[in-house]
Amino acid sequence: MAPKSSSPAASNVVHSLWKAYSDQTSDRLKFIDAFLVFLMLSGVAQFLYCILITDYPFNAFLAGFSSNVGQFVLTASLRSQVNPENKNEFKEVSPERAFADFALGSIVLHFFVYNFLG
Amino acid sequence: MVYLRSLFLIIAGFAAGINAKSSTGDSVLVIVEPKQQDNYNLFFSGLKEQGYDLTFRAPKAEAPALIEYDVPAFAHVIVLASETKVFARDITPQSLVQLLAKKTNLIVALSPKQTPLTSLAAEFSLTLPPPGTPLVSYFPAREGPANVIPVSVPAKHTILSPNLHPVWFSGVPHTIGNNPLLVPILRAPAESFASETDGGSADSLVDSAERGGEGLWAGSQQGLVTGFQTLDGSRITWVGGADVFSDEYAKKEVSKGVPSGNLQFARDVAKWTFQETNVLRIDRTTHNRVNSTESLDQYTTNDQIEYAAYISKYDSKTGNWAPCTCLKDLQLEFTMLDPHIRTALLPVAAEPGKYATTFRAPDRHGVFKFVINYKRKGMSFLESSTTVAVVPPRHDGYPRFLSAAWPYYTGAISTSVAFFLFSAVWLASEAREKKAKGHKAE
Repeated sequence: MAPKSSSPAASNVVHSLWKAYSDQTSDRLKFIDAFLVFLMLSGVAQFLYCILITDYPFNAFLAGFSSNVGQFVLTASLRSQVNPENKNEFKEVSPERAFADFALGSIVLHFFVYNFLG
Repeated sequence: MVYLRSLFLIIAGFAAGINAKSSTGDSVLVIVEPKQQDNYNLFFSGLKEQGYDLTFRAPKAEAPALIEYDVPAFAHVIVLASETKVFARDITPQSLVQLLAKKTNLIVALSPKQTPLTSLAAEFSLTLPPPGTPLVSYFPAREGPANVIPVSVPAKHTILSPNLHPVWFSGVPHTIGNNPLLVPILRAPAESFASETDGGSADSLVDSAERGGEGLWAGSQQGLVTGFQTLDGSRITWVGGADVFSDEYAKKEVSKGVPSGNLQFARDVAKWTFQETNVLRIDRTTHNRVNSTESLDQYTTNDQIEYAAYISKYDSKTGNWAPCTCLKDLQLEFTMLDPHIRTALLPVAAEPGKYATTFRAPDRHGVFKFVINYKRKGMSFLESSTTVAVVPPRHDGYPRFLSAAWPYYTGAISTSVAFFLFSAVWLASEAREKKAKGHKAE
């Protein structure tokens, strides 16, 4: 009866993981995570559209998809820099500095995306 | 009085000009033995009536020259001296070929005798039987020698008038090679064969058959009168026997009460050879984008292109070129090495002589040509080639903001909007936190 007992155990694991995440993560990091999930879903949707329906015009696909990917990377690095647990690794980077880097990087990224989109 | 005479001369000249019936000129040199000249009076007077200027020259006479200072002296040459073995120095197979290259038209008569012209015929893919073997046929039963044969003429032919009476023929047949420039005009009857007339026996036939069929000249695949049109448009007609043009055969009845078709046949052959009939030309060609009249040097890939050719045919009755809507199988090719597009060029009903078509330029850039290459047996060849470039669209020539791309646009825009919202919320919350911290500190 191993599978039957393992199934509640597995759901138990997911549940406890979710609980630990909700309890131990600060609201700011949760907000960043929500943004990351949105970017990922948007990227997946565009990729599926490209594969299943049309990749024409391809430059628009590249622009749309890479804006998602680029924004995801920038946001992920913001998350790791503002996480209090990583304080030792980013000693010289304050959260304000991290956000400024993120904002500048994003603006440059969007500039390129809109140039490439039309 | 002098004025009156010059006025008369001008009028006469004008009338002669109107009578000009050939598209290439009216002067004709006839090379014929003086003794036999009177045998062809009907043929010659027919040519004169049509407006030709006949000059006679004996085969051995030195003048008038065929080519003077490298310019042909006559527009057309008829060589009726079919049995002459020795010609004047300037009448050689080479000089006749040179005449053809200089756009002079020729009618050359052959005979069973071996002459310099016999070897020239071989250069035109016409193979003659051995010397001394004229065409012989014992059908239909008739009085007279077996080598004077009534040959029925095809009822429909691009060169000959319709429904001609049979034509009397005596002379030598030839086999027609596979040269595409040859235009068979008259073929031998199925029952005829080439043989020695005095022998004429079955034995000689058997002899030649035993030599592996070689030397067996028989059947309707043999030609009697065959035309040849060079790529330049000049024409030469080989006639197996000069007697086809003779008064005797023109007057000779085929059967009781039925005149022979020789006279009309000779006229038709002369008309074709002297470029009166079946002469076409392309006056001009135009090309442009659809919905525009401007002729461009370069088109963009996938453009809709309109192409038109204006073709006229020479009308020997008026001496003018008239628009011709007579071609049904004209084609246009759009080629870059290979034809990328080959399409029918159909006559436009509203405009006589105009042939037009519309097509989409291929999705391929490069140097293309509009090509008309119309070569049909018996018609003058139509060739035209116009070079244009086909280029890809310019950087701003592509279509933009396509409906298919809306998911991508939405993705990019939503990412930007989400970025701004995220930044706003982030900064706001940071400010609130600071405030809270500040309160705590106090």
